[in-house]
Amino acid sequence: MVSLIVNGSRMDIETDVDKPLLWVLRENLGLLGPKYGCGIAQCGACRVLINGEATPSCVTPVGSVAGASVVTVEGLSQPNGTLSAVQQAWIDEQVPQCGFCQPGFVIATTALLKATPRPTDAEIDEAITNICRCGTYPRIRRAIHRAAALLAER
Amino acid sequence: MPRFLSRRGFLLTGAALGGTVLVAAVGGVGYLASVDVDGLDGHLDGERAVLNAFVVIHPDNRVVVNVPKTEMGQGIHTGLAMVVAEELDIPFDDRISVVFPTEAHPAYSTWFNVLQIRPEEASGPAVWVGRRVLGQLGFIATGASGSTMGMWHPMRVAGASARHMLLAAAAARLNVPAMELATGDGFVRHAASGRRLSYGELAHEAALLPPPDHPALKPTSEWRIIGRSQPRVDIPAKIRGEPVFGMDVTLPHMIYAAIRHAPVFGAQVARIANEAAVRSQPGITDVTVIDGRKVAVVAGSWWQAEQAARLLEIDWTSTDADSVSSAEMSARLRSAFESTTPYEHINDGNAASVIADAVTSAVIEADYTVPFLPHACMEPINATVLVRDDGTAEAWVSSQSPMAVRRGAARGAGLAGVEPISVTCNITMNGGAFGRRSDQDVVTEAAFLAARHRGRPVKLIWSREEDIGRGLFRSHAAARLRAALGPDGLPVAYDALVAAQSITQGIASRNLPFTPGPDGDRLSVEGLDKLHYPIPNRRVRSQHVPSHMPIHFWRSNGFSFNTFFTESFIDECAQRAGADPLTYRRALLRDKPRHLAVMNRVAEMAGWGTALRPGQGRGIAIEECYRSVVAQVAEVTVAANGEVRVNRIVCAIDAGLVINPDAVVAQMEGGISFGLTTALISAITLDAGAVVESNFHDFPMQRIADAPEIEVSIMESTEPPSGVGEPGVVPVAGAIANAIHAATGRRIRSLPLAVTETIGERRTRTVLPPVAT
Ligand code: FES
Ligand code: FES
Repeated sequence: MVSLIVNGSRMDIETDVDKPLLWVLRENLGLLGPKYGCGIAQCGACRVLINGEATPSCVTPVGSVAGASVVTVEGLSQPNGTLSAVQQAWIDEQVPQCGFCQPGFVIATTALLKATPRPTDAEIDEAITNICRCGTYPRIRRAIHRAAALLAER
Repeated sequence: MPRFLSRRGFLLTGAALGGTVLVAAVGGVGYLASVDVDGLDGHLDGERAVLNAFVVIHPDNRVVVNVPKTEMGQGIHTGLAMVVAEELDIPFDDRISVVFPTEAHPAYSTWFNVLQIRPEEASGPAVWVGRRVLGQLGFIATGASGSTMGMWHPMRVAGASARHMLLAAAAARLNVPAMELATGDGFVRHAASGRRLSYGELAHEAALLPPPDHPALKPTSEWRIIGRSQPRVDIPAKIRGEPVFGMDVTLPHMIYAAIRHAPVFGAQVARIANEAAVRSQPGITDVTVIDGRKVAVVAGSWWQAEQAARLLEIDWTSTDADSVSSAEMSARLRSAFESTTPYEHINDGNAASVIADAVTSAVIEADYTVPFLPHACMEPINATVLVRDDGTAEAWVSSQSPMAVRRGAARGAGLAGVEPISVTCNITMNGGAFGRRSDQDVVTEAAFLAARHRGRPVKLIWSREEDIGRGLFRSHAAARLRAALGPDGLPVAYDALVAAQSITQGIASRNLPFTPGPDGDRLSVEGLDKLHYPIPNRRVRSQHVPSHMPIHFWRSNGFSFNTFFTESFIDECAQRAGADPLTYRRALLRDKPRHLAVMNRVAEMAGWGTALRPGQGRGIAIEECYRSVVAQVAEVTVAANGEVRVNRIVCAIDAGLVINPDAVVAQMEGGISFGLTTALISAITLDAGAVVESNFHDFPMQRIADAPEIEVSIMESTEPPSGVGEPGVVPVAGAIANAIHAATGRRIRSLPLAVTETIGERRTRTVLPPVAT
């Protein structure tokens, strides 16, 4: 049994402690926003915030983060459905193509903007290492700058 | 079972496509005549008013558009819904939603892709038979950049027809002539009396009226939606992380499966050495061989299934390919150049003798190669299938082809001794597809497992390792190109020979009831003929080179290699002629105003001819493909240590009339990224018959730090729409190779152009290969 705070709610999960957080979220908790893309911490599709840090959940045994606060893409918008600034910027820039990689990028950007509210292009290149096979990178870059500006206004 | 899905119909039309004269038999014609390709009669489905095969209206004014095209990121759901909204005369807002219909109605068939005749121009007996045969087959697929070309007109007519029926219903209700009524904003209005009725109020009556024969289409001058960028309908759910992909399908009592395919394609499972040990792993409920060639592990969790699958010790039978290496594969391609029996696609004039007779200084010859490549769609390959005790089956798949899903499900269940009496096909969003998801392989496997576990949905997921190293591939290819230049420096003779493994044969052998011979594969020579360059003597040939590798569609197929070959070669010709590559192409395209306009636009955007810093270079490439003309200029920097960076790519495309401009820009951006990864990074190597690469650590992808600036320009056009899903990929490799040549003087003739080095966690850089000595 492992306890986590997932998107603000405490969850007690009956699971093998070695099971990666990604599969606990997807299979045990039905949170399907985090995606499986590689399983080896390369693509970032599975990124979630663990105590605020964007982490590849595919290589994070759930037992190693017991008690932690986990935020998935589902937890970014407000309970009334209002999107986070990053999500809104993603819509405004019409970023996604297939969209499979995007929850991971949105999570990675959320963490980046927390640490670096107005990132430069070089800081974006350094921090955002996810893979998008559809090639939405130019729009991701624009959306990160837009989200930064939105957050500065809020 | 609807009549168009019957087994008899399938056999009949399968035979017809095979080239027999069966369809001409009286019974066949009578049978096909009964196939309704033009639509579904309006009817009520609960409170939903189905006005035709494409338009459904709810009482609360919501409009559901049936789009029988897979949304895989290209924005097709939005584009075709825009067309319907335009003709229906409603605003393009969140009252509109799109679904992929589960029925295989003939009106949804992808006949355009086969017949290559635009619906708006289609007539005559060949079209009549072709539409019925393909409708009968349930041939519904998304690919070949053909969705807008094939569907925009039928969907315009569907929207216009529905609007007409709503007007007629309002005229009856208000007891006024339809002529006095107008539509707008989802209402029918009677100006004289100030009365109005919403579409939702009218839809039930409208659905029961006969559709008009030839509904008038909205004049283009009145368009308010088509041609103006609209936000994609599928994006909000994707941004919220909603479960829209096949990978996310979750059903009651679902179980999960992992799979292992043979490392050397074609090998059989001889023995599972440790089956009992794997079965005893936590949560494992089944370990089974599928079709003698793969091993699946079933559990209550995919993670458990995959963990156990990793422990499998499988002995595979030996095959002829067990010793094949990349070097041997390359040698096979090269030896195909000596073939005495290549297939001749074009032989105009006397290319061979003109080249043989030309002085050496006027002859250019060059060989080019590209490797095998997997698709690496971001969403790993998966399928969910349920076989019920009553014999019905249902599948949920991120697939490009309901036909492949139905056939795969029937075949897979059949391998387990179950003949499903029907297969319901649910097409989900695809997390990338690139041609990959038109194969029935994964559905066959999942259906086999579902038939063994009747009553429980089985979700089979391939690990990324299975996808990259054990799945389907774009063929490797090589070309020998030769030309003789005339006194003006332009080619007077062009002789092209491509060696590749037949794409069509590969696909057909796994997916269709009939397999053509390997020779003369049309897909393998796409981009090789260069018909837009006026060369008086032209020969285009192909040589099929067999291997054990399973070959499949891959975004832009033959263009993905041939355009790299040919646009590099044209640069080599220009260099020999002492001409600037742009000037040279302009001369070649002097009688092609459409191409010339695209070329000029891209050159202007690129600032062609303006000064660059040392180590920088620009390269240009152009292609006509999928009825579009696309040109790109790449600007690269090659550092002293050989590190190559693509700084900027500009792209101009003439895609005819563009429905959703922003979606076309996105497709160019995405195509450029895909093409750039291919040009600089991607390679599959073979060792002892098996693919060496397995995941993104050794089969890297472009990341944001390496993504160039991209600018896209869309040419104004009033011609009907042409393809955009693939063209963005096509010129990239040639443009980059030409830019590297401009920067360094080095002509690199094989892909990838660079060697990828790992320089940190999730960091790579691309460096030009050492100069061969
Ligand atoms: S799935 Fe975790 S990084 Fe790719
Ligand atoms: S949008 Fe498809 S992988 Fe990024």
